[in-house]
Amino acid sequence: MAKLIPSLEAALVNRRSLLKGIAGIGAAGVVGSAFPRPAIAQEATWTLANSLRSLANPYHATFAKGGEEFAKSIGAKYETLVTEGNSEKGISDIKALLQRTGGKLIVNVDPNDSPDARVIVEEVKKAGGFVVTQWNKPDDLHPWDFDPNYIAHMSFDGVPNAEAIANELFKAFGGEGGIVALGGILSNVPAIERKLGLDNAIAKTNGKVKLLDFQPADWNEQKAFDITQAWVTRFGDQIKGVFAANDGMGMGALEALRQNGLAGTVPVVGIDGIDAAVSAVEAGEFAGTVAWDPFWTGSMGLAIPYAHVTGKIDITKEPKEHREFYGTGIIVTKANAAEFKSNPPKTDFNDLWGKVTGQIQYRS
Amino acid sequence: MQAKAASTGWYMEQWRRWAPLAVLAALCVLVSLFNPNFLTVGNFVRLLNSAAIPVVLCMGATFIILMGSIDLSVEGVVAMTAVVASLLVANDITSYSIGLAAAPVAILIGGAMGFLNGFVHVRLKTPSFMTTLGIGFAGLGIATAVLGGLTVRIADPVFRSLSLGRFLGIPMAVWIALAAFLVALTIQQRTRIGRWIYAIGTDEVTARHAGIPVDRTRILAFVLAGLFYGLGGVLAAAQFGQGHALISQGRLFTTITAVVVGGTALSGGVGSVVNSVIGVFIVVVLANGMVLMGIEPYVQQGVQGLLIIAAVSLALDRSSLAVVK
Repeated sequence: MAKLIPSLEAALVNRRSLLKGIAGIGAAGVVGSAFPRPAIAQEATWTLANSLRSLANPYHATFAKGGEEFAKSIGAKYETLVTEGNSEKGISDIKALLQRTGGKLIVNVDPNDSPDARVIVEEVKKAGGFVVTQWNKPDDLHPWDFDPNYIAHMSFDGVPNAEAIANELFKAFGGEGGIVALGGILSNVPAIERKLGLDNAIAKTNGKVKLLDFQPADWNEQKAFDITQAWVTRFGDQIKGVFAANDGMGMGALEALRQNGLAGTVPVVGIDGIDAAVSAVEAGEFAGTVAWDPFWTGSMGLAIPYAHVTGKIDITKEPKEHREFYGTGIIVTKANAAEFKSNPPKTDFNDLWGKVTGQIQYRS
Repeated sequence: MQAKAASTGWYMEQWRRWAPLAVLAALCVLVSLFNPNFLTVGNFVRLLNSAAIPVVLCMGATFIILMGSIDLSVEGVVAMTAVVASLLVANDITSYSIGLAAAPVAILIGGAMGFLNGFVHVRLKTPSFMTTLGIGFAGLGIATAVLGGLTVRIADPVFRSLSLGRFLGIPMAVWIALAAFLVALTIQQRTRIGRWIYAIGTDEVTARHAGIPVDRTRILAFVLAGLFYGLGGVLAAAQFGQGHALISQGRLFTTITAVVVGGTALSGGVGSVVNSVIGVFIVVVLANGMVLMGIEPYVQQGVQGLLIIAAVSLALDRSSLAVVK
């Protein structure tokens, strides 16, 4: 019996390492042309990579394009790593690329889940590469604790953007009257931030705009539709506008208004800048939406570390608002919708901090 | 003595039969006391509109639950058929534009997915719970993959009129749901399949001994369910003017809740499509009423849960159940 156990353990370890090996081969295959080449080739130049969830969603497709364009502008090698919503894959792809490039890697990561950020940052530091993270990271993980390898963390602030889009809504109906608001899942950080932004905007109207009712529709279009229908019954023409914490719910509200002959009469605003919402803005049914800027995050997440490795800046000497910062949301209204569509925002790769709008705040 | 007991039983049975309707009526009275706007014609039309798609979905799910099985593929089939329908009418991704012909195609795809449910469930003898869960996930997965995370927007006003059009002031979706209900009622009351479904739900072994083709009936019931979900998918696409993989989010829970609240037992054999329609209205009036009464969002879910338990306990005849699982 006693003899059996170690051999069993050995067998298990063998099987595990075998599985790992297979996974490694799989990962390398995904990474690209790595497999046939000898694994450890000391690279002389920096390789750039963006890691993202899926090329299928428009946000990340543009995010990848930003990285590619920046790499092209400096003539560097570039790779896109796709996690497919799998944290394990995301991390192992980055590890494989670190090994292949001998640590000469600049990686711009939108971690699949907050805890992944810590593992990725530690791996990159160990290998001597440089990393920028986007949107998700644990609150207590800070770039300045991993100098110089953890260059920065970037995100977008829900509070001022929600406030700005709420003001567009107020403008659309003349600045006086009642509105109704659809919120996201009550415990989500973006939902909390966006509600706070709306509350701020309402408070600043000194009672001219009244919040008739607030209901969480859990980011769900159908729920938003049903709630908006009930609002039409309850408040009738007291409703001068509808605020939705994201475009999906905004579209649900818009369709409910359409069923009641109110589309285009009662303005709606949303956040995210999805295509359907931008089109609704053009059609005059949405008063506006906030578009994030994935081309900027995709390119700047590489341009800033590149500026550090080429000696243009010393990231360790930069202030904290250049290490953890918010980008600029773009307010899309009827005035700029057509232009936004045909001519998305430009990014100047040399203007490292131009679109930075302040240091990230921890509100929880 | 015996006669008295029998008559009490008769009264209880009558009460249970009418309990869901009584719950619905009580709910309507309660809401209108708080907010008289509830009783306006406009709100009535809005309630019908909110109920249309859930009614169509429940027509399918009721047959499955009457057999004592469960169908968790609702969201997958609805997402899949909504996406297919949106890609076949004039839209911003594909160049197809087959107009209203997209509806039967999508409904048939729903039927095919239902067939797959039934076939796998019966032939491979996998529990309906797992089978339909699997097929449902597959449907969601395909819908996601086909569109690659994008949303397809419908640019065909004729197709959209399936939801937005009005006849006698009532949205077209409501008329379609009414037609679906009449079809389901006919199947339940006037066809052998309808009777067999009850027989299987009451006691499958006896049904088999009585010569009922149980396997064939089961598969057919799943096909029927799939057809109804397909119609639901078409209506969802027409309602929102778009198709995407998340369009069916939350549909499964509403559907099963409505069927059960209406008084159809999850154990099978008891209930009807009429009950399910009442169940849908209980759920819809409740959601509408919460907003009309201005109940705090934080409290709403709790109230919803309590009322569902109350409705089920009033409607279900537990005295005849030896075991409650």
